Parts: sequence; C-alpha cells; structure tokens
Amino acid sequence: MRWSKTGAALAVLALVGLCCALGVSGAGPEQQLTVYTGKSSYSLPVVDRSGKQYISVADLLSPLGSSQPTTKGRDWRIILNKMDLRLTEGKDKAVINKQAVDLGGKVLLENGRFMVPMDAMLPVLGRLLNTTIDFHQPARRLFIGNPFTRFTPEYKNGDQPSLLLNFSQPVTQLDVNHDEHRGALFTRSNKTTLTFRKDPLVSDLKTQQFSDGAIQSLAFSEENGAAVITVTGNKHLQVIRSEDGKTITLQPQAAEALATPLPTQPNTPSTEVQKRAAEFFVMIDPSHGGYDKGATFGGKLVEKDITLRLAREVRKELEERGITARLLRESDIDLSLDRRAEITNEQRAGLYVGLHAGRSGKGVRVYAPVLTDTQQPLAGRFLPWDSAQSGALSRSQNLARAVSDELKKKGLPAANLSVPLRPLNNIIAPAIAVELAPEENDLQSLENQKLQNSVATAIALGIVQARSQIGARQ
Amino acid sequence: MIPRHFQITIALVLLAILVSGIVIIRMTHREEALTQQAAEAAPAGPMLSGKQEHIQLLVAYDEDQALRWRPADVFLPADRNLRARETLRSVLAQYLQMPSPHPLAKGADIKDVYFISDDTMIVDTTAQFADGHPSGILLEELTLASLIETLTANVPGITRVKFLVDGKERETLAGHADLMSFYQTAAVHELAKEFE
Repeated sequence: MRWSKTGAALAVLALVGLCCALGVSGAGPEQQLTVYTGKSSYSLPVVDRSGKQYISVADLLSPLGSSQPTTKGRDWRIILNKMDLRLTEGKDKAVINKQAVDLGGKVLLENGRFMVPMDAMLPVLGRLLNTTIDFHQPARRLFIGNPFTRFTPEYKNGDQPSLLLNFSQPVTQLDVNHDEHRGALFTRSNKTTLTFRKDPLVSDLKTQQFSDGAIQSLAFSEENGAAVITVTGNKHLQVIRSEDGKTITLQPQAAEALATPLPTQPNTPSTEVQKRAAEFFVMIDPSHGGYDKGATFGGKLVEKDITLRLAREVRKELEERGITARLLRESDIDLSLDRRAEITNEQRAGLYVGLHAGRSGKGVRVYAPVLTDTQQPLAGRFLPWDSAQSGALSRSQNLARAVSDELKKKGLPAANLSVPLRPLNNIIAPAIAVELAPEENDLQSLENQKLQNSVATAIALGIVQARSQIGARQ
Repeated sequence: MIPRHFQITIALVLLAILVSGIVIIRMTHREEALTQQAAEAAPAGPMLSGKQEHIQLLVAYDEDQALRWRPADVFLPADRNLRARETLRSVLAQYLQMPSPHPLAKGADIKDVYFISDDTMIVDTTAQFADGHPSGILLEELTLASLIETLTANVPGITRVKFLVDGKERETLAGHADLMSFYQTAAVHELAKEFE
C-alpha cells in the first residue's frame, strides 16, 4: 500500500513534469524558413524529423510560380521554370530533368504533403531557378536573386542623442519590442528590438558601440527566418519610421509619448538623413564565388576563397580608418559580373575595389579600367552600360596610382596597369581591380596572413589618400 | 566427366580472353581519342594558296609579364579573311609549342573570322581556347593583346575586334578579360605598350 502510494505520487509528479515540459516546448516560437525574392517574401514552417529540419516542398515552390503538383502513389511531380522536379517518398534523391540531385535525407509524406530536408533546397532551387541562391542556414533565411536590403547606422550625439538607421530599400514590416532590465548598483538597461521578418535585411555589421548613455550599442543578428536589430541604452527609446520607409530613428522617448506605437515621420527625410543617404562607402568585391572558382593554385586553394579573405581584411583596415566598406558577397555565392556592377551602382558606392588572385608573375598588380569601345553618352540620365565608367575614368586612374604607391611603400612589388576589365567599365564610381600574385612561385604564399594584411593595409591607405584627391561622391 | 581442375582452367582462360578483349577495345578507343585531340590541337599548316611572308608576331611571355615582337615565316593567303585567320593561328602556334612562353590548352584555335564591315572583325575561337585558358587578369589580357596587336600589324584597316567562343558570345575569356565588348585596336595598342 505504501509502495503504491509512493508510486502514484511519483507518477503524478512525472505527469506534471511532462506537462510542464510540453508546455514549455509548446510556448517556444514555431521554427520557420523565410524566403526572399526580388518581389516578395514568404515564410513556411520547418519541422524536425529524425534530427533533420524538413519543409513542405509545395509550400516552398508554389509562391515561386510552380505548376500545381501532381501526386501518383508515392511519386510527386511539379514543373517550375520549365524544369521538371520529381520526388518519391522514401527516396533520398530528387530528379530534375532526369538528373538526380542528392537530398541528404529521405522524402517524407505527411498528411498528403511531400516533405524534404530543408538543407537540400539550396541545390534543388539552384537548378530549378538558374539564379543566385544565398542561404543563411542557421537563421533559416533564403535569398533568391540577391534581393538584399542593407542598412547603415548613424549615431548623433548631443543633448538629445539619436540613432538613424538608413536602409537601402524601404522596410515594409517591423515589430518593435522594448525590454527593461534592472542590474546591480541601480543600473538600468533598456533593449529595443526591431524584428524584420518580411524584409531581406542583411548586414556586415554585427555590433557597434556608440556611448555609455541613452543609446549605447547596436547589434545585428539573424534568427528563425528574421533579421533583428537590437539597440541597448539606459533609456526607453522611441522608434520613428520615415514615411518612405527608408529611415528609422531611435531616440529617448518623452514620458507622455511612451504609449504611442511606432509613429511615422510625416515630413520628407531631414537634411541629416539626406546627408547620410549620400554617405561615402567603398564597395569591395571578392571576385568569383560559387561555381566560379576563378584561378586554381593546387590543392584546395582557389581564387574565390583568397579574394573573400582579402576582402574582409580590406574592410577591417578601412573601418579602422573611419571609412565604411561593404562586401559584394559575404559567402560562397555566384554573382554575375553584370550583377556586381548593378549592386555597386544601385547602392551608389563611392569607390569600387575588385579583388583577384592570379598565378602569373609576382607581387601585386593594380588595374584601372580602360574603355575599349567608347560610346557617346545617351541623352538624359542614362549612360551606355559598356562605358558607364567614362565619367570616372581619370579618378579611377588616380585611385590605382595611389594604391600602387602605397603597396610600393610597403616594399611590395607593384605594377600599375590599365585594362579593359569587367565589371569595372560598367561601374559609375571610380573603380579599380587589385590582383595578388604568389611570392617566388610559392603558390601557398597567397594564403599568407602577413602578406594579405600588408596588401589590405596598403589598399586602405591608398583609398584614404585618393579619397581626398578624387572627392567623395555627392 | 570433365575433371574439376580442367573446368577451372577453362573458366580462367575464358575470363582472361574476355578481360584482354575489354582492355584492347578500351586502349583502341583511347588511342583514337588521342589521335583526334592531337589533330585538333595541332597548329595550322601552311595554306595551299598564298605566299610565305616574313611577319612580326607579338608574343606573350608569362615569366616576364611582357609582350615581345618576334619574327616568323608564315604562309599567308591573299584573301583578307584567310590572311587574318592564319595570322592569328600563327600566334596560337607559338603558345601551343613546347616549351611555351604562354601555355594554352590543346585545341585552342581560331575556327573562323568574319568581317562585318571593312574595319570590324569577329574572331570565332574554339571552345578549348576559352575553356582551357588559364584564369587570371594578366594572363587573359596578354592573350587578347597579343592576338589583336599581331592582327592589326599584319592585316591593315582593322579598327574593332570582337571575340566569340565556339560561335557564341561569352562574358569573359577565363573569368576576367572582357569578351562582350568590341575591342578598339587603338586602345589595345596603348595597352600592349604597357607590357612591351
């Protein structure tokens, strides 16, 4: 009897524990994947099956314009972009136009829905859509065709400090959360969290410190299909979005306005904002990427990886000198040469630096563009694509000279050349390319951190020098 | 009753014959493929009509990152199209020989050339010319500059040149040098001077 009472008590405790556990797990946010295309964005649920994350393939492909799926027993078929995708329940391969694609896990059929491992969708979509796919896997954010929105923060100190976030595209949907923490010694910390679920917001910036007052720091992160900007300070912050959706201002909130949710700024962007929108920044292009490996140097050493590492070094060096820099690609993705020029022109970069690595010769070669087929500019605001560089040609040559001078000062063999090189000729800003060659036929020297640091520093110094001469873009 | 050891011997002999047959067939195929590749990669031979001329070729030297003029005796036909093609082929022949100052892939060749106007020429190259070209800004620019400069030096009146690969437009030669634009020979002349 005693044992049975104890057993019953334990059983009740176990049941309560189980309910609590289920309650806690149920309270967590649903996992989701957000897909961004140039025109829209949509989210779909992600479920865990046998340690893998699965999604419904119809939910993913239907918004992209696929045909109605047809199901026949264990087989499933859909047409997208004139490509024929077939799945079979229990198989771990998809078939696209009769070619097998590894899915990394079995196809599941649940409630009439065909589920595939989420990770497999990168190669599948890549084949189906024949465009650039960028998958931020841990955050479950999938970008189709480089639809990125970026932002630059501007902190304004003074009696009434404020933080301006300027976006390259209008942000359409924004969730704001305020969180207050009281710490030891009566310190107070306010966190304002801006969650962007529908906007393809990405950033090279992870954290930035401003002051120790009302607005102390900013952090950017990506999680569960959304981008999150967290601003920390010691006061409650008011969030104001401009009418055009391209600027968000955070400032300490007046007591009477505490309850007002996300007002919009009715007026046009302030001169401060306009000034910010025209901010000078350098676009750094790590050439190649994805299937385009560029030059190969034996073993696994390829140009696309060297350029990405060097690009990060150059950005670091520029930012240390107070110059904002952006990378055209942060990961191993394919970007066409035209797209590289389009992004640079759309974002109105002040300067463009393309980075390359070649196996011929030694030292560093700095290339300025040369127009091989000069065309007359068209009437109005338009420029011929092939000679868009024509207005910036002399400034590009000055920039190339400044960079090669700095390389020589560092004792690196440097040559200054002019070549017809894409995408330099399609870029409206001053543009150069820098090609790093191995030291004395030692191909592995391209990986040398010291060499990369020296080159990155020289490029940054050259840009600093040239910037004053060529003038920032107005 | 055939003894067991005899059965095994017969089976092994048959197996050996089968394996030998397969090996011989594969070797024959490989040999045919190599012969065909060698035929495709071989530099152009002299034309049946035309005369042998002493011309100057601008040759790329990777080791020195330089372009240098080199004399060559080449059979050049009187026809302007054929003359242009043979001039370009004579440059490629320099790069296909061993040792090469600027190695290109086997099969790199000029398929055809077309004048679309008196001064504008389209050069159609083989797929191997671009597919097997070493990647790098300098290497690619040296190839194009040497071809265009040699062409304009030996076929007068050409002011614009565009390259195709196997009859189609291609963005770049091997990831860098622009193949979409028409090259103005005057601009290439300035570029080539930087390397001479």
